Amino acid sequence: MADVTLAIRDVEQSYGKVHALRGVNLDIPQGTTVALLGPSGCGKSTLLRVLAGLEAPDQGTIRLGEEDLTRIPPERRGVGMVFQDFALFPHLSVAQNVAFGLVEQGWSRSDRDARVGELLSLMSLEGLADRRPHALSGGQQQRVALARALAPRPSLLLLDEPLSNLDRNLRDELTVELSTLLSDLSLRALHVTHDQREAFALADQVAIMREGRILQVAPAERLHAAPHDAWVASFLGLREIVPESVARELGFAGPVLLRVERFKPNPEGAPFTVRGLTWVEHDLEYQLRTPAWPFDIRYRIRPRELPSPPPGIGDVLHLEVPDDAWTLLEVRA
Amino acid sequence: MSSRNPRAIAVSPAGIASLLALLFLVLLLGVPLAAVVLRGLEGASWDTLGSLVADPYLQDRLGRTLLQASLSTVLTVALGLPGALAFARYDFAGKRLLRALFTVPFVMPTVVAGAGFLALVGPGGWLGVDLIDSLALVLLAHVFYNHAVVVRMVGGFLEASAPRLRDAAATLGANPIRTALRVTIPLAAPALLAAASLVFIFSFTSFGVLLLLAPAGRWDTLEVEIYQSVARLLRLDTAALLALAQLFMAMLVGGLYTTLQRRVAVPLSGSVPLPRPRWQGRMVLMATLLPSAVLTLAPLGALVYRSLVPPGAEGVTWLGWQAAFAPSGLLGVISAGDALVNSLRFAVASGALALMSGVTFAYAVVRGGWRWLDRASLLPLATSSVTLGLGVLLAWPNLAGSFWGLAFAHALIGMPFVARAVLPSLRSVPPSRLAAATVAGAGPWRRLLRIDLPAMRTSLIAGGGFAVAVSLGEFGASLVLTRPDLATLPVAIYQRLGRPGMENYAAALVLALLLMMVTAAFMVLLDRLGGPGEL
Repeated sequence: MADVTLAIRDVEQSYGKVHALRGVNLDIPQGTTVALLGPSGCGKSTLLRVLAGLEAPDQGTIRLGEEDLTRIPPERRGVGMVFQDFALFPHLSVAQNVAFGLVEQGWSRSDRDARVGELLSLMSLEGLADRRPHALSGGQQQRVALARALAPRPSLLLLDEPLSNLDRNLRDELTVELSTLLSDLSLRALHVTHDQREAFALADQVAIMREGRILQVAPAERLHAAPHDAWVASFLGLREIVPESVARELGFAGPVLLRVERFKPNPEGAPFTVRGLTWVEHDLEYQLRTPAWPFDIRYRIRPRELPSPPPGIGDVLHLEVPDDAWTLLEVRA
Repeated sequence: MSSRNPRAIAVSPAGIASLLALLFLVLLLGVPLAAVVLRGLEGASWDTLGSLVADPYLQDRLGRTLLQASLSTVLTVALGLPGALAFARYDFAGKRLLRALFTVPFVMPTVVAGAGFLALVGPGGWLGVDLIDSLALVLLAHVFYNHAVVVRMVGGFLEASAPRLRDAAATLGANPIRTALRVTIPLAAPALLAAASLVFIFSFTSFGVLLLLAPAGRWDTLEVEIYQSVARLLRLDTAALLALAQLFMAMLVGGLYTTLQRRVAVPLSGSVPLPRPRWQGRMVLMATLLPSAVLTLAPLGALVYRSLVPPGAEGVTWLGWQAAFAPSGLLGVISAGDALVNSLRFAVASGALALMSGVTFAYAVVRGGWRWLDRASLLPLATSSVTLGLGVLLAWPNLAGSFWGLAFAHALIGMPFVARAVLPSLRSVPPSRLAAATVAGAGPWRRLLRIDLPAMRTSLIAGGGFAVAVSLGEFGASLVLTRPDLATLPVAIYQRLGRPGMENYAAALVLALLLMMVTAAFMVLLDRLGGPGEL
């Protein structure tokens, strides 16, 4: 299994008139975790089902190194999957759930018991081996689901929003746990989510998906530094996007992302008139306008960095706008 | 809340509902059943009991009934299970239609099913084979009548739970056969056993089917035997003793059913879209669902055909129709018109009663906190209808033969359906909604009127509809409690079949067709009003 890449090429899938996947391309090298991030209905769960073999794509191929997986049924793919609702077998105990795939692979009883024990301790589930799934908490069920998927040593682990059914605190806790686990095991994993924090916390690479296509694949910091287009930027919550028409007036070739956080108060800087201000936690958020630009910006700052007293509505705040505050976004064809 | 204050019990709607529900159960079910038990045990010393148990005739009866019910159950499961698995496996064109078709036997009166099988494979039947009085025909009718129970109970359960678990099994390396063995079948086992025990009870206490299709009495159930003791031999003691034995048996299997039913009710996660079948899948679907569809349609089709073309007739004749609609009393039987009017009167009266009592029950359980009434509301279902009729006859002899006596009996049989339908909708009203209404100034009666009743609306239609359908088809209690001029359609059909001559035979089929059309029209109306109910 040395350094083989899972290659997804031009995968298309439609249900009647709905095109869920419109030519998906993605590489997942051994040992990397890719988060598939996108709004609901963008096709990410469909892609996962296609990778697991639960659905055959209309077009395209899925290869693992030299091997073509596209038409191989799910049970012979060696893919592990954690389902959104965990899909634990209600008629089996925790240990039997974890051992399910090992039985299919024909492991001997003693090997099976050893492996199950290993995983239960890895997941801190010791003592729950004989419980039924419905007697477990949400977080415990999630761990059993993960243990069950990992037990047969899959060549690819698929995670379908595995944390979305849990409450916020538990989710944060398990995100950290899962992140450590994935990097320790050096697995090849694809993690579907619509939660950015989860995606950035867990993955080496984040793939942004929209309407059946993957728009950009990059590590978290690259994604923030250079979003592919205005949609990706706004999806990532980068708010100050100057639309193309306005940006052209200012001399840019396409839409621009304005990095307001890089502005600095400076008496020599450009004058901005304060049109509104509110407290956001410990910061002040200003709504500002400068005569040169036909739009307002929102600027957040610690009060102690401001001149004293802080400017109020109608006052002028001077800010230095550095050159690297402008990022040109890709011009759409 | 209000139940803590004794004065509030008397005036709060929940308190009144609880008292009424209790009164209804005690007077209409408790007292009659007690009467059966007392009468059954009255003359019975250990000696007579011993001689009865040792009675070779009764032993033979019980043995045959058990054999028949076991075979019926096995065959029903054998036909229903593949259909259930297919329903849970695929989404396909016509699935809704098939599902609707499979509910037809469920709501069709037994007498209609019986008449349908007579028209198909009775004397002068459409297929040209006469199976009357054979075990095969009894089994066939029971399979017709019950396979929908298996398809719906097991299929519904699997459809809600299995798809995701099947996916999980597949990603863990289990091929479809291994998945069936390790996941689907173990999952379905409780649901399947629950369905099977229900089918067993239905077949064990079967009445109309045997009276119509095996009139010679070789396969008579205890239920038929009870009826014969009451109606022909006028031996109420024997009838009560038999009823006691049957009740005991039904409780035994019924207990198994409710225990299993609770295990099936494990909360299940959201469903996923099912795949459409590819060509192998289509073949499997055809092979599994076609026999069920044919079995469902054939007797009903034969009924329509034979009511227009009676055996021996050259072509379409109105002979049966003329005989059926001849004025009452002329041939010692009731006319179709009068029977139809009677049926509708009972349906309306008992439907209204069932609706009132069912809602009262549900209200007492949910708002009054009388949980045990929940289980008690199922009792009338566990009691067979002839036994119920016998109980009413023993406990309230003045009611027997009166309009309201039978209307109340029908209402009692229909009430569980209303209660079953209404309970979940009432339970689904969040406490915060009631609290909001209270804060806004609505007292308990206003909350009932403005919060609870609107929440129950759809389920009232469904449950009430089922109660009416039950009344239209009710046969056992009607036969015991009726008086000639109050005969309903099912009773009229039986009367006609008991009389010689082609005219009467054709008239019986016409009456059955009429009953089938009334029931069907009613179910369509119900579907338009508020969607189908669930058992």
